[in-house]
Amino acid sequence: MILSVEHLSFSYDNTPLLCDLSLTVSKGEIVCLLGPNGSGKTTLLDCVLGFRRDFSGSITVDSRDVRTFSRPELAQRIAYVPQLHTPTFPYTVREAVLMGRAAHTGLFGAPGKEDEALCDAAIRRVGIEALSNRAYTSLSGGELKLVLLARALAQQTALIVLDEPTASLDFKNELLFLDTLASLAKEEGIGVLMATHALQHPFQLEGRGLPVQAVMLSRGETARCGAPGELLTPQTMLDVYGVNAAVVETADLHGNTVKTIAVLSGTASQETI
Amino acid sequence: MKRTGTEKQKRGAVLIAALFVLPVLFVAASLFFGRYPLPVKEVFSALLHPQTAAAATRVTVWQLRLPRALAAALVGASLAVSGAAFQSVFRNPLVSSGILGVSNGAGFGACLGIVFCGGGVWIYLLSFICAVSAVVLSWFAGRISRVTTTITMILGGTIVSAFFSALVAILKYVADPYSQLPSITFWFMGSFASIGYTHLIAAVPMLLGMGLVFLSRWKLNVLSMGDKEASALGVDVRRCQLLVIGGATLCTAAAVCICGTIGWVGLVIPHIGRMLIGNNNQKLIPVSISLGACFMVLMDFLARNLTGAEIPIGILCALVGTPFFVYLLKKTKGGVWV
Repeated sequence: MILSVEHLSFSYDNTPLLCDLSLTVSKGEIVCLLGPNGSGKTTLLDCVLGFRRDFSGSITVDSRDVRTFSRPELAQRIAYVPQLHTPTFPYTVREAVLMGRAAHTGLFGAPGKEDEALCDAAIRRVGIEALSNRAYTSLSGGELKLVLLARALAQQTALIVLDEPTASLDFKNELLFLDTLASLAKEEGIGVLMATHALQHPFQLEGRGLPVQAVMLSRGETARCGAPGELLTPQTMLDVYGVNAAVVETADLHGNTVKTIAVLSGTASQETI
Repeated sequence: MKRTGTEKQKRGAVLIAALFVLPVLFVAASLFFGRYPLPVKEVFSALLHPQTAAAATRVTVWQLRLPRALAAALVGASLAVSGAAFQSVFRNPLVSSGILGVSNGAGFGACLGIVFCGGGVWIYLLSFICAVSAVVLSWFAGRISRVTTTITMILGGTIVSAFFSALVAILKYVADPYSQLPSITFWFMGSFASIGYTHLIAAVPMLLGMGLVFLSRWKLNVLSMGDKEASALGVDVRRCQLLVIGGATLCTAAAVCICGTIGWVGLVIPHIGRMLIGNNNQKLIPVSISLGACFMVLMDFLARNLTGAEIPIGILCALVGTPFFVYLLKKTKGGVWV
């Protein structure tokens, strides 16, 4: 087990946001954090990444309290892919990915030959070799996300935390990103904790043969956790989002069953589908 | 086009050699020219055999031109490197070495020295102390807010700058208009005219500061990703900022205190570097040091030789630097800024 969150509670100015939340992320497992805007997904990620320390309960990484790690120590265990990256200087893609090695260099250190090799390997693994020498400010949203994923991979951590990684991507880039992420979890055994608004993501990742857990956050309430199929029901949708939704089963080109969520109407009523 | 490994290494070696050789060449060349005309042969003999050279030649080359050229090189390098460092720390390409109030702080110190202490060594001492204090004040002003510290730090710098420029205005108002006020005005225009070997004591903080920034140069890349991302990448942001800002402040304060305020260099030299070799601070920092040194030696050379009376170097830097910058911008079509 890489990450373990136990009985975590967090309040903003005495308004409870996260209540008694428990979850674990193991090797090669994907945990999807779901929930409406303002339900505390980013706050939870901030607690896990050590940016917020005023929570109650416990968060342990490699069985050690997250608050006891130094910055480099934590960054050797958890990599982070931000939701919104605002670039300032047009570094090349390779220079940007190489920054993933910061946690493995000393105070006055700079990456060496070995770091550069790992950086190139991460670039190949994510499939963006063709972009290596481009300015990373000139990329499309989808390409930039892959660069940030490569940077996280170069960090060589057991866990990657992502904040709504596909929020601004089109269908095709979204699928490409999920495929890449799934293959990292499957083949490299990396644990993934990802906040997302797309309720079909847990199903899609499960469909790629990965162990997937879904966690549904709701502001100030105890979170619901479970396998995607158990958790993502019309009743949960109604309780948490106040919408009528249906779980739709369909088949992909290979005849495998694929589940997805269809939102039917915005007004909350008790009709069952 | 993909470059082969050896070709890349060769280019790297040429670049490193150029970085060392160019400033030395500029300093050496500036020894041969000046208001007091000296034949090239005599300068050579004064350099190679100081004992046998004529006293006037020896003094001109060794006591006047050499310390002045060395000071210009050090000051140019300091201003350029601190500008480059601040641009990355504050994630803002428009920032220059004066962003945290160094210049106005130093200006206030110099005015204090001129008005109350009769000038002399007090000008240097007080301007250095006030320049460093201004940055310390900006740093603490930036820490009042716990979030987005880099923005509040820039705001802090602006406030502290404004405060010190008000103090300067007060001192100008009370200064003797016939002796002290002109000194103040000339100080703000910048000059290397009175530089001697004793001023080169300022080389100690300048080299120390440059060293700190140079050692942290790769981490500057990571810092420019923003506080949160840099932390998540494993950098102790607070400590790294302290080192870089501390280093940049030491060298700017030392530079400004011996030659007065020289704007523009700290903004433009790093950008010329960016256009030439890209934004990677690992290369940009040494390139800024080297270019800054060359540029300032050249400007001082022009200041001494263009006209009969010496042109204040601050004015010259802006006059010559701006069109050159526009030319580069046109030539590289904005280069990397697209």
